[in-house]
Amino acid sequence: MIEITGLTKRYGRRTAVDGLTFTVRPGQVTGFLGPNGAGKSTTMRAILGLDRPDSGSVTVDGRGYAGLSRPMREVGALLDARAVHPRRTARNHLLCIAQTNGISAPRVDEVLSLVGLESVARDRAGGFSLGMGQRLGIAVALLGDPKVLLFDEPVNGLDPEGIKWIRELMRGLAAEGRTVLVSSHLMSEMAQTADHLIVIGRGRLIADVGVTEFVRQGQNVLVRADEPGPLTARLAEAGATVTAGVDGALIVTGMEAREIGRAALDAGVVLTELTPQRSLEQAYMDLTRDSVEFQTSAA
Amino acid sequence: MSAAFADTVRSEWTKFRTIPANVPTLLSAVALMVGAGALTANGAAENYRAGHALFDATYISMYGGFLFAQITVGALGVLVVTHEYATGLIRTSTTVVPRRGRLFAAKVATYGLIALAMGWVSSFGAYTLGQTVIAAGGAPAASFADPGVLRAVVGMGLIWALVGLVGVALGILLRATMAATTVLVAVNFIIPVIGPRLLPDAVGAWVTTYWPISAGLQITTTVQDPGRVEPWTGLGVMAAFTVVLLVAAFAVFRSRDT
Repeated sequence: MIEITGLTKRYGRRTAVDGLTFTVRPGQVTGFLGPNGAGKSTTMRAILGLDRPDSGSVTVDGRGYAGLSRPMREVGALLDARAVHPRRTARNHLLCIAQTNGISAPRVDEVLSLVGLESVARDRAGGFSLGMGQRLGIAVALLGDPKVLLFDEPVNGLDPEGIKWIRELMRGLAAEGRTVLVSSHLMSEMAQTADHLIVIGRGRLIADVGVTEFVRQGQNVLVRADEPGPLTARLAEAGATVTAGVDGALIVTGMEAREIGRAALDAGVVLTELTPQRSLEQAYMDLTRDSVEFQTSAA
Repeated sequence: MSAAFADTVRSEWTKFRTIPANVPTLLSAVALMVGAGALTANGAAENYRAGHALFDATYISMYGGFLFAQITVGALGVLVVTHEYATGLIRTSTTVVPRRGRLFAAKVATYGLIALAMGWVSSFGAYTLGQTVIAAGGAPAASFADPGVLRAVVGMGLIWALVGLVGVALGILLRATMAATTVLVAVNFIIPVIGPRLLPDAVGAWVTTYWPISAGLQITTTVQDPGRVEPWTGLGVMAAFTVVLLVAAFAVFRSRDT
């Protein structure tokens, strides 16, 4: 279990993480979502004691990470798979890291075969493809057989087979009762892997929901009408949730497009647009629209 | 030594020996010291025959080679640290060893011991070969029975360790290989060797006497120059300088995000 309470981290004048509070529970894959620059990596680094929070606290199974004597047995992390010495072999890379926590050489070989790198164990890591590098990074995380695992963007640059492998690995680790936190900026990937979602934008928590609930929430309809006022009242009366979108548009949740059309007819309002937005990606974009750090201007 | 610290030292040693270039580079420093030492010993023997009064057979058999070898030893100390910053491995290292003091101490202990061991191989090698060359050149060779000789040869190994640790400290402080190596060469070579010729006389004389490496190398002499500090005082100056750098490096290492 990872507990983050009021975490704030600034780099100079830029606030990367702003009063973030959430809990990552064991036995499920928790997806950690947000646009680039939302503060996902900063949060993960804070969990690992790499960056000191300006305020707030982070605990792993009730303890601060920095106080752990042999942390690999408690927490495994994949932060940056390219962090290898290019001329060191894969096996030696793992051995250097394993030895710091008193983990034996046989375990290194075991993990190498677990991630499917045994045939290249004695090759230099500098010659590895992106996918092999990710596997090596995951091997580092698994060395201590930890109860808590953090993966920062593990599917970046992987081919479909590699993505499938990582997805199954993470689900398997969660099924064994471990706490698994996976960051990504791709909603579609998380929808297939995660059980629970933490969505952040500009360092703040936007959503902390189960994937099923998120999917349901995501099924909203974009409505434009020449008289939005009466329509809004009518829809609210019928039990739908209506929120104001961009340029006078209405985002309607909890009602099918067909029912909305009928409501408009009853209210005598002319609809100019009626667009169901069923994709998770769209729901995610709606959620994080205001918090994207660098946005291309609307065409 | 706690078990956890021993594990971290073991890991640092594995890190060092599993980068393919490190061990050959270190051995080249040994070869450089012994080889160049023999050449300067030969030159010194010729000078002796030409009638120079002050002749320190022990010092001259090691000093010439050391000038070259120390660059390698120090630069390798820099690299032990900066390669981790360059590759991003430092984040992995501080993640798996979150106690920064333990990681720092393991790095210092491991490279310090490597440099010390190789320093002794070099100093005894350069001394032994140098004495043969000096004797063959018709000058009086030193022997371990002579006063100060063993202290000088053992002391040269200590200098190696200190030079290596200055490299480690600079690597941590500056994090970039080029910057740290440049400062290292300036501190250990340009200022003490070339500086006195370029600086005003008073400053040059001060550098010759008290600059850390210049003072430290007094431990490797067996004939006391009255104008210079005593051997152990000199080594103390250099050791104190190294400790100050290491303390500064640790303060930065402990407080900085990685």
